[in-house]
Amino acid sequence: MSDTRVVGAVEIGTTKVVVLLGEIVGDEGLNIIGHSICSSKGIKKGVINDLNAASDCVHATIMQAEENAKSRIDEVYLAQTGSHLEGNFNVGTTNVSSSDNIVREIDIEQAKQDAKRRKLPQKRTFIHHIQNPFALDGQPVDSPLSHEARQLQVGYWSVHGDSSKVSDSLRVIRGIDLDVSDMIISSIASGVVLLEDSEKESGALVVDLGGGTTDYVLYQNGYIVKTGVVPVGGDHITNDLSIGLRVRRKSAEEFKVKNGRAYYQSSDREEKVWLIGDLTIGDREYPLAAITKIIEARVSEIFTIIKEQLQEAALYVPADIACGVVLTGGSSQLAGIDECARRTFGLDARVSEGPLDVAPELRGPGYSTALGLLHYALTGQEDRQRSTKPTGILRRLTGLLSLE
Amino acid sequence: METSTDSLLSTSNAGDELKIKVVGLGGAGTNAVDGLKLDDLGEAGRVQLAAINTDAQALSNSPIAEKLVIGRSVTRGLGTGGEVDIGKKAAEADRDAIAQLIGDVDLIILVVGLGGGTGSSAATVVAEVAAKTGALILAFVALPFSFEGARRKRIAEDSVGELRQLVHGLIPLPNDVLLQEGEEDTSVLNAFALANRWIGRGVNSLCAILLKTGLINQDISSVRSVFNECGGRSIFGTGSATGGDYVKDALEDLFICPLLHMGDRPSQLDRLLVNIVGGTDLGIAKVNEIMSMVSKRFNSRDDIVFGAVIDESRSATLEICVLGKVGIDDSRPVAPTAAAPQTAPVSLSEGLLLDPEIAKDERPPRRVHTSKLSKKKKIPDVDQEEFLFVDTNAQRGYFDKTDRNLYNDEDLDVPTFMRKGIKIKIKV
Repeated sequence: MSDTRVVGAVEIGTTKVVVLLGEIVGDEGLNIIGHSICSSKGIKKGVINDLNAASDCVHATIMQAEENAKSRIDEVYLAQTGSHLEGNFNVGTTNVSSSDNIVREIDIEQAKQDAKRRKLPQKRTFIHHIQNPFALDGQPVDSPLSHEARQLQVGYWSVHGDSSKVSDSLRVIRGIDLDVSDMIISSIASGVVLLEDSEKESGALVVDLGGGTTDYVLYQNGYIVKTGVVPVGGDHITNDLSIGLRVRRKSAEEFKVKNGRAYYQSSDREEKVWLIGDLTIGDREYPLAAITKIIEARVSEIFTIIKEQLQEAALYVPADIACGVVLTGGSSQLAGIDECARRTFGLDARVSEGPLDVAPELRGPGYSTALGLLHYALTGQEDRQRSTKPTGILRRLTGLLSLE
Repeated sequence: METSTDSLLSTSNAGDELKIKVVGLGGAGTNAVDGLKLDDLGEAGRVQLAAINTDAQALSNSPIAEKLVIGRSVTRGLGTGGEVDIGKKAAEADRDAIAQLIGDVDLIILVVGLGGGTGSSAATVVAEVAAKTGALILAFVALPFSFEGARRKRIAEDSVGELRQLVHGLIPLPNDVLLQEGEEDTSVLNAFALANRWIGRGVNSLCAILLKTGLINQDISSVRSVFNECGGRSIFGTGSATGGDYVKDALEDLFICPLLHMGDRPSQLDRLLVNIVGGTDLGIAKVNEIMSMVSKRFNSRDDIVFGAVIDESRSATLEICVLGKVGIDDSRPVAPTAAAPQTAPVSLSEGLLLDPEIAKDERPPRRVHTSKLSKKKKIPDVDQEEFLFVDTNAQRGYFDKTDRNLYNDEDLDVPTFMRKGIKIKIKV
């Protein structure tokens, strides 16, 4: 028993709350022992706007998962999303201290500290400091230890969020008397399980299209170089359809799932679709073109925004994103979404089939973030034991945030 | 230039007759009023048209009888060049003349296009002046297209925020939404004309309900009962059909009216005025059918005021116009400067056929169905609304109580196709 802990991976999404229970036995690895998904309440665009409603449904989902696993959660890994998340790239610089110019542990620590010294405005909290390559006198290296150089630099992609929004989500978990061991932003969690190491190396963009937000992470040369959140998701597509077709949300949702396609083609003008389809009173016929035009406008806009954000950061270099775009998240099930991504990004695009090393029922796009959380729960432990790890992603957060 | 005079034609028929004045403000407002076809109502002199602008040249081209150039001392009659400050100064300088133009009427309908210099700023001044007369004030405001730029949009939004607190009912007509109505290749110019047509329908319907004799008559107090408080949001929609199964078609046309579909609005309606204009063959049975369909659709039978008017010159045709208010809980009592409409409590009981006991209650007399909107509001919302409040709010619908989603000055919560002006044809 001593070496076994049960980790709960919790993703509080706009559409649904996902909880996965993983049993971590020493260094042996991870067994997924329970899972549960419930519809979300009190959450819009990835942010909790009704704490009570959100708490209730998160607690219910957690309990359901515990029941499913016949086990209790020891600690929680929590996903974070929402437009309040922002990132910056910071470079830390230090002069190698020893007279022989050999880089020692202390220099590395110094450079890391320097990169992270940047103060945040009030009410902002760091969530991740993601390490990028070191550079010795300007030359990138993976591990600088014992090399000779005068100057050591290290880059960090730092993600921070609105303190009150972050603590809202922590409060939900605390409310059921569980401790949050760490928080990981959704895009990183999805990315880590969906990409092979080789893909991270040659460059890939993972886009997680959720209900209220679209989270993305860009890998280049094996490192996370940028993450971002566009606070637009499947809910917006439904809302656009509801307004454009002048139907209720429920019907709009049905149109989206049943007839939706992420790009418009001229033959859609001729094709008609029925609102209800059983010839009852109140049924109406709509041109498919209306549906596909509305969806195309929205989806291509989401992709365009991501592309613009990458361009702004000078990271939109197709050659460095050789593996193209990998789509996941509930809205990635929309027909033709890969084609729309291909057209907008001008990159290869595919819908992820999910990680193949898990049970088939967990390969769906809905689970990738939670699986990523479990991955970090496992590798985070390795991190502590071995002390060096190329993607030292985890930073302990508990205690950093005051919940009062 | 010389034809525009500061004088106004004397308002002729005095007495107890109901008087309505439609006031066009600024270039767009004047154009809309120019285009109004009031049929016989105008001739009878019971609906008076007036126009106010800073641009004397533009105003001189208008066929409207009562015209007022404001701010000659500020702009020398040359317009504001889109500057709100100048428009404000112009209107402030001529408060007295505006008061004179407005005169003493029962219902004032302001028609204004927001985003420019004159309409956006003068509207609040005119509304303030009008409020002092104790008249019921409704405003039809056209909102600029997204492609007209962030600046115009911001001006319009600010202005809507202010104006909403001053008038009893503010009906927003976002051009982005109206564009959806025209044919697939509607040009922008036509789109402006479309806005005018919508305003025309609304004004006509409102005048008809009040002035024409019909199957079910409504008077000004029933209109007041719907719009008895300033603030809050209003909705407006129309549907019409001719020939065939015109009742069914007109209802369908109404239900797909884009102005009623800026989010799940209809289920959140608080009070509604429904007017039906039909031809000679419109019997009470058909009216009943329409009424039950409409109340079913808007979920609030108790809060609907119905009117039905027969147009003797037509047959096999139907026009339905819906005007109403949502989020009554948000609205504040009549603006402090305004003389409180003393008729309000009485008219409530008349208009809504409510138990007089309930009507005497100080709070708005409706708790029968609670809209989703009011349930969500535990926090005092009034101040928040002032903050968040912008008129495209009407389009926020589902995303109502969330942070705005601004990216490059566009609100991403507003449907992309609307912001980009992509026309969606939904009629097969």
